[in-house]
Amino acid sequence: MVLLCVELRGSGSASAAPICVHGQAGCHFLSLADLFDRVIQHSARMHSISSDLHSEFEQYVLPSRNHIGRINRHCHTATILTPNGKENAQRLAREELTEVILKLLVAWKDPLWQFHQNMVHQDDFNNFSSNKALEMSYMVHELRKGVEKVADKMQHLGMISNTLSGLSSPEALDPSSDTCGESQAMSDHDLLYCFRRDSNKVQNYLKILKCRIVPENGC
Amino acid sequence: MMWRDVGVTLILSLILPVVAQGARHTPPGKPKLTSCRSPDKETFTCWWEAGSDGGRPTTYSLFYHKENSETVYECPDYHTAGANSCFFNKNETSIWVNYNITVVATNALGNNFSDPVDVDVVYIVQPHTPENVTVGVLEDEDGPFLRVSWEPPRKADTRSGWITLIYELRVKLEEAEEWEEHRAGQQKMFNIFSLHSGGVYMVQVRCKPDHGFWSEWSTASYVKVPDYIPRERSMWILIAVFSAFIFLILTWIITLNRSSVKHCLLPPVPGPKIKGFDQQLLKKGKPEEVFNSLVVQSFPPRSTDYEDLLVEYLEVYVNEKQELMPEGKDLRDVGCLKSKSQSDNDSGRGSCDSHTLLMEKCGGVESKDESSYEEPELLQGQAGSWERLERGDSQVVDTPDSSDARVKTWPLVFSPSIHGSSDNHHYGTLEMPKQHSTSEITYSVPDHLFPTSTSFPHHHHPEYRDSLGEYSEYRHSRSPSTGVLYHWEAQHHPQAHSNFNIRNLERQKEATGLGLPPSRSMEYVEVQKVNQENQLVLKPLSSHGRGPSQVQFGRAVVDYSKVNGVNNDNVLLLQRQREMAEAGQYCDYREKEGAEAERYPTQQQGKTTKDGPVATQLQESTCLTTSGYVDTVPTMPTF
Repeated sequence: MVLLCVELRGSGSASAAPICVHGQAGCHFLSLADLFDRVIQHSARMHSISSDLHSEFEQYVLPSRNHIGRINRHCHTATILTPNGKENAQRLAREELTEVILKLLVAWKDPLWQFHQNMVHQDDFNNFSSNKALEMSYMVHELRKGVEKVADKMQHLGMISNTLSGLSSPEALDPSSDTCGESQAMSDHDLLYCFRRDSNKVQNYLKILKCRIVPENGC
Repeated sequence: MMWRDVGVTLILSLILPVVAQGARHTPPGKPKLTSCRSPDKETFTCWWEAGSDGGRPTTYSLFYHKENSETVYECPDYHTAGANSCFFNKNETSIWVNYNITVVATNALGNNFSDPVDVDVVYIVQPHTPENVTVGVLEDEDGPFLRVSWEPPRKADTRSGWITLIYELRVKLEEAEEWEEHRAGQQKMFNIFSLHSGGVYMVQVRCKPDHGFWSEWSTASYVKVPDYIPRERSMWILIAVFSAFIFLILTWIITLNRSSVKHCLLPPVPGPKIKGFDQQLLKKGKPEEVFNSLVVQSFPPRSTDYEDLLVEYLEVYVNEKQELMPEGKDLRDVGCLKSKSQSDNDSGRGSCDSHTLLMEKCGGVESKDESSYEEPELLQGQAGSWERLERGDSQVVDTPDSSDARVKTWPLVFSPSIHGSSDNHHYGTLEMPKQHSTSEITYSVPDHLFPTSTSFPHHHHPEYRDSLGEYSEYRHSRSPSTGVLYHWEAQHHPQAHSNFNIRNLERQKEATGLGLPPSRSMEYVEVQKVNQENQLVLKPLSSHGRGPSQVQFGRAVVDYSKVNGVNNDNVLLLQRQREMAEAGQYCDYREKEGAEAERYPTQQQGKTTKDGPVATQLQESTCLTTSGYVDTVPTMPTF
């Protein structure tokens, strides 16, 4: 675990790859709208996988464990302030919203990896589920990179200020220590439950962001 | 006293339960939360159903607490959503927060808690139906199509991206049973193609958030499709018209070439000619009469008509130079050589070379002017009989009038006894002389008799010659009562075989004493003489002895006599080749009584008078011929 925490700290956000500027040679230009569509699709897929895993867990694993009552569920991401309604979400600035998204994604990277590792050694899930867990953790990683690219582009286009650069700082990952401890306490079921919700949040926030910034299609 | 106490106790114990029962109330039954729904992900409503009320007025209240919070709140609004419902407005609704909801039923006696239900608003979104569904008919190059468009329900905020809706629509013809469903994704417009022209369609739309429940179907919109002809159907129509046109052209072409097509597809099969067979009668559907006519008319042949029925015809050509006139025209031109079939119904009139020497009467032989020689008279007499016979034969035959030097085939009068010969001998056919008053009856030797000869001129008495330059003159006589045709086989080339088979060999069983053997193989007879009635009296070659009236036909011996020539007396000069091996000299000889015998055309000889050897006294001859021969085919016996 200590190693994990160190690893979390150590792995800052990867340096963002340069995004092509308009007309730069040898570079495939993607518009902001396209980027948004991509990340939204990504997040939709991530959420559907998490839903599947959660329902599988509830269907097959939980009854056998004789899970009685409901323990007060506490997601490790509860410390991250997230808007709980439409007005709240719309009240947030673009940068803040983007930041929330990134925070969430960052917070889930390691727990998911851990979860996958646990699953491999357990018999509770079949191979199919373990593949899903692996895919989930991979997707979180990819999505985070995608959102970072979007943020960079937005910054480049001047739509948002440059306050996001603080994310890559270690302070943003401070909660990870708590997260580290929290993730241990979470049961698998809770983890799945929490992640399902958080992936939904990410998807929704991205959509709000997109319709606010590039409201061309589907808004 | 004690008794009184007991009685009171008894009564009380009996009464009290009754009283108590009537006044019993229980705490309410357990209520149950049925569902919670949010139309817009901003508010939501929960409904419950009541348990038994326990006989007392019962009140229901809903309590909830949020996730990770112990504070219990009561439902803020019991009325907006109707009875037994609780409505949570925007301020009280938190998304991504777990609500733990419980309903409590309370009455005077107690209360009852329902089972708690966890609700996260995100997962209970069920929007309202799409609004403003419009359907229109638009035109395309392929035909009309429907364009359906709609708007999201008012409450669902898709603009800000808060809710993402996907749509689904269904279409059917008004009278159809099954709906046709289509997913439209996030678009708000949809096209439907391949419509039934003139049909009335119903369209409905519904929507669903990406994680949630489907809305209700919108109210049906009706639309009528105008009448039109589908493009592909018009193409089929075009193809059909084109094919019909081509078909008509082909039919026309085939009709023009009807005969050749028919000849090609259905080669004419010679059919039997049954003398006395009346097709018309048969068509009328009276078979008995037909058969009667058959039976009565032609079979068994009466003796008087017998000879009439035994018709054999020999077509001979008269050399012009050596005209047998005074009999002059006794070779009538019958001109029947070519196997051209007249257009009559007789299919057997296929050809002169038909196996079955079916000869159709070409028409009455009329020669009026027969005074010049006897034979014509004979023939005329014959003609009458021919005509008679012909008339009797209801088959359609070419009338002599119509004959125009064409080849006509004599009908074989003796149909029952006629065997279609299965051998390939050719039969000479006799052409019908013209009916119009050419006083001459000519008979032309059929082509096949002399294979190298070309068609005979019909009217005149052609000088017949073969390729070898030999010509033979054949006299033909017929018995007055019968037409006798002799088929001669002339072989001018060693290899050329056109056999004159004297027909009727087969049918001569009944012949008057002639006793022709029925075999169909080639048999040859000698022409013994010509009798009075201008008949060739024949005798079989193999038989040496001859009765005056008996021509015995033999057997397998085949003798050939070559026609050497015709002498001045119109005598057939025949040669005889006994055997090929002995081929040697060319003998020219005349039969002993040839002159006499061959003068038959001029002589009115009795039928069976003359006995002399006829032209083919060949058997006694020792001369051998080298080439060419005349096969005397067994023929009808002469009378």
